Amino acid sequence: MSDLAAVLAVARKDLLQEARGRAVTVATVFFSAVTLVMMAFAIGQDSQLLQRSAPGVLWVALAFAGVITAAQSFQSDLEEGAFDQLLLYPVPRASVFLGKLLANWLYLTALGLVMTPVTLVLYGAHAGAGAWLLPPTLALGSLGFALVATFYAALTANLRAREALLPVLMFPVVVPVLLGSVRASEAIVQLGNPSLAGGWLQLLSGFDLVYLVICTAIFHLVVEE
Amino acid sequence: MAAPHAAAGAAPGAPAPTTPAAPAVVLDGVSKRFGRELVLRELRLEMSAGRVAVLRGSNGAGKTTLLRLLATRLRPTRGSARVFGFDLQRQGDEVRRRVALLSVLGGNYAMLTARENLTLATTLSGVAGGGIDAALERVGLSAVADKLVRTFSSGMKKRLGLARLLLVDPPLWLLDEPFAALDEDGKRLLEEALTTARAGGRSVLMASHEVERSGRFADAVLELAGGRLARARSGA
Repeated sequence: MSDLAAVLAVARKDLLQEARGRAVTVATVFFSAVTLVMMAFAIGQDSQLLQRSAPGVLWVALAFAGVITAAQSFQSDLEEGAFDQLLLYPVPRASVFLGKLLANWLYLTALGLVMTPVTLVLYGAHAGAGAWLLPPTLALGSLGFALVATFYAALTANLRAREALLPVLMFPVVVPVLLGSVRASEAIVQLGNPSLAGGWLQLLSGFDLVYLVICTAIFHLVVEE
Repeated sequence: MAAPHAAAGAAPGAPAPTTPAAPAVVLDGVSKRFGRELVLRELRLEMSAGRVAVLRGSNGAGKTTLLRLLATRLRPTRGSARVFGFDLQRQGDEVRRRVALLSVLGGNYAMLTARENLTLATTLSGVAGGGIDAALERVGLSAVADKLVRTFSSGMKKRLGLARLLLVDPPLWLLDEPFAALDEDGKRLLEEALTTARAGGRSVLMASHEVERSGRFADAVLELAGGRLARARSGA
């Protein structure tokens, strides 16, 4: 079978499980919504400050949602020895990583597409002429988060303190992605400057490519004990 | 590295070679350490292809660790191991084409149906999916083929694991307590599968506390104690 078919089979399996269990959906949607509302309350009634904060708050909510998504995607694998079984199939282990990454990425992007209009309304911000750049920004930012989160979730999957260790390990590495995503979103939402956003998106693409190559290449070392 | 003994265990689902050139399993001074605990100590073993070997030993003796190591899930801390001539660490993909593991828990996804679990297995193993219904029928799960595995009992999950093994049917079967959780009917099914596998030239390494049942199939009985191969009855 082709490696692509293996990637799609693993991603389909993860998405099908989530569609039935909805554990991640419930946790991340509520978590993101609560984060947006709490931050809005904390910032107060200064409308300009609210508008300026919107991109940062959105990406912080998505970053934490990414941790939950990735951790949960390995949780179902670890039950009943299914992860051992998954890693025993004669496909490159990179295919397993890419399949899980694809599922997490699609999920995070969809969550971002839902949360972005909610954030814009709640924080009184407007996308303006560069609104068409928001979906690619969400896609590239979510890819970066999903890459790092999926990789570190695999690394910590068998550890007792995995819930605590995953964000501690992941967030320092994911800072460039967070920075690029927030700056690109700011350029679109606040500054209405698509060319500036385009520069940040190029940088974000570069980070994603580097993480994609490194994480895919060394995933097999992470899952062999 | 060129594939040594390419005839040995050629492909999952295909008839196993009757006179394979390479031993099914070779362990050369294999040790495995978890943190400060040495679980396997300097294991040396050669198991010929087409043989059935039963691993015995008390809880914590290292049986599951050895099976997971041969399934390429664990890396040896020291020493080397080969399956049908392929090195576990350097030729893991080749090894995985020739082995399947039936774990204690069954290795199924609870939020997928029995059929979806087997479809995933056939897709990722590269074997034809046409035999799924027959495999489910054989293990007595036809009536629940489209039910989620989370509704299954432990025995049903084990039967589903057995169905996956029968579908993939690799040259080397690694079985971890295969009789556990099965009812009498399930145990008979497993015995039939083992009989067929043996007749078809498959190699089987099975960890089992069911001394009498597993002993019926054993060409060799290997005793693990404290991570060492304490003794072997008959030649592996």
